[in-house]
Amino acid sequence: MAAHSVQARSRRHPDALIGYLFILPSIIGFLVFVLYPLVTSVYYGLTAWNGASNPVFIGFQNYLYLFEHDIAFWPSLAATGWFVVMSVPSSIILGLALAMLLNRKLRGIRVFRTIFYLPVVLPSIATLTLWKFIFDPRFGFANELLRALHLPTSLWLGSYAMALPSIVIIGLWGVGGTMIIFLAGLQAVPQELYEAARLDGGGDLAIFRRLTLPLISPILFLELVMGIIGSMQAFNQPAVLTGGGPGFSTDLFMYNIWQNAFQNQQFGLAEAQVWVLFVAIILITVFTFRLSSMWVYTEESPE
Amino acid sequence: MLKTETMPRAVMRRKSYWNTRQGFVVALIVVFSVVMLLPFFWMITTALKTNNGIYHLPPQIIPRTFDVSNFGAGIRAVNFVHLFINTAIIAALSTIGSVVSSMWVGYGLARIRFPGRRVWFYVFVGSMMLPGIVSLIPMFRLYLNIGWYDTWLPLIVPAWFGNPFFIFLARQYYFSIPRSLDEAAKLDGAGHFTILTRIMVPLTRPVWITMAIFAFQGAWNDYLQPLVYLSSQSKWTLSLGMASFSGVYNTPWNEYMATDLIYMLPPLIIFFVAQRYFMEGLGSLGGASVR
Repeated sequence: MAAHSVQARSRRHPDALIGYLFILPSIIGFLVFVLYPLVTSVYYGLTAWNGASNPVFIGFQNYLYLFEHDIAFWPSLAATGWFVVMSVPSSIILGLALAMLLNRKLRGIRVFRTIFYLPVVLPSIATLTLWKFIFDPRFGFANELLRALHLPTSLWLGSYAMALPSIVIIGLWGVGGTMIIFLAGLQAVPQELYEAARLDGGGDLAIFRRLTLPLISPILFLELVMGIIGSMQAFNQPAVLTGGGPGFSTDLFMYNIWQNAFQNQQFGLAEAQVWVLFVAIILITVFTFRLSSMWVYTEESPE
Repeated sequence: MLKTETMPRAVMRRKSYWNTRQGFVVALIVVFSVVMLLPFFWMITTALKTNNGIYHLPPQIIPRTFDVSNFGAGIRAVNFVHLFINTAIIAALSTIGSVVSSMWVGYGLARIRFPGRRVWFYVFVGSMMLPGIVSLIPMFRLYLNIGWYDTWLPLIVPAWFGNPFFIFLARQYYFSIPRSLDEAAKLDGAGHFTILTRIMVPLTRPVWITMAIFAFQGAWNDYLQPLVYLSSQSKWTLSLGMASFSGVYNTPWNEYMATDLIYMLPPLIIFFVAQRYFMEGLGSLGGASVR
């Protein structure tokens, strides 16, 4: 009976076996590298584990400690929030502006596109360390430029107020990544639509608001979600540039997690922090998705 | 369509307005480009400065004397050649792994009809949403227990099990290739493996070259994973070596920038060689989101 139904099914889907053979690597990958760590990480968050001995179950103590006693937890969360608020809108606005500037048929336009995309290709460690020297208060290029223009100089990464904005500025050097996605979106907009709008007497601002913005709003949304998720997980900047300081001003959440786990050997506590970050990411993503129905344009179906 | 003589006045005025605006746009693009290039300029001049030159006050925008010996000194200071080879091996193996496995899985999802393929596609793509940090500590413990800690395996092996983003790109691209090609090949007795390697791989070149660029960049530039999984300096990648070189007390910035320039070269070269495929490979993504 069972054999009969298997035969019947394989007759209906002669390719089932070969199909699963093709997707097998990803199924294994999903089970081992996604599902297994996802499930066990819930448990590790509820344990005390120093990396050497076996994890000991301690209930919600890690979470209680984080919320009530850990001096770095709230400042680190705040720094991460500010980082997201500063870096995501600035890179989306600048990225879209550059994409619109570069979305035209001019001779040599590809050279400029390449120039803007260049910093994205480079290793983040290579560019971060380059900027570390640019922002050197005494010998760096940034202050030299300000002095030449007779403007007040800054301690940049060494200043409590300027350290986080400096990291945002460094991030904007990589705005080409956002730009290239917008450019791909803009190039998919049929040129006839612009010509029609222009014949109807649409001004630049009206065309941008009524035509360009709605048509690329799905990409804008994608960039927004990816930008938020990405910057909530920024790690290299504090690790290479500031060590989280001065104070907690650049103690981004991922860096704080890494410190707790791999420097202080408090893996259980760090895993609890991971879950705080994860839940925060989910909540913000869901919130962004909910809001998206208000402004993301979807083409109506013919019916 | 209209000849200039027959153009109404308003249209002519509009036309010249467009030209000055075009000029303004070009000027803006040039100014932005210069700003983007300034850090590179500073990097190159620093790499050529003498030891006195980097600590000269006020800093010299263009050095008076050039010192090429920074390259040799920097390379020795970070054990650069050794770390370069390490990074190249890791990057090559993980790039090949993720491109091959993603092309393979993407083919299965796009070209073979079987129950559950849609569900699995959503599972794979959905797993992309999961932040990598969630798996870091459990995987660290797993690798510790199976003896993979302080080896390159955690940096290479996972790449061979398909990359969700690449699978998404591949699947979109496979859809754009007419099914009649598969049918014809099947009539000639070709199996799926032959169709994939002989028909699909040549036709999907932009998409797998795009994947390769992304994968190589990802591996070459990765910092967090080597930092967590590698401890012996002899196994380090360049990202670890360069970060620690920049963190020492009184970094010799001229030597540093000289080696940093070489560290940047491989991803740059690969990007320039492969870039004509790049927009095309991503095109499938842009088109998908707009439509």
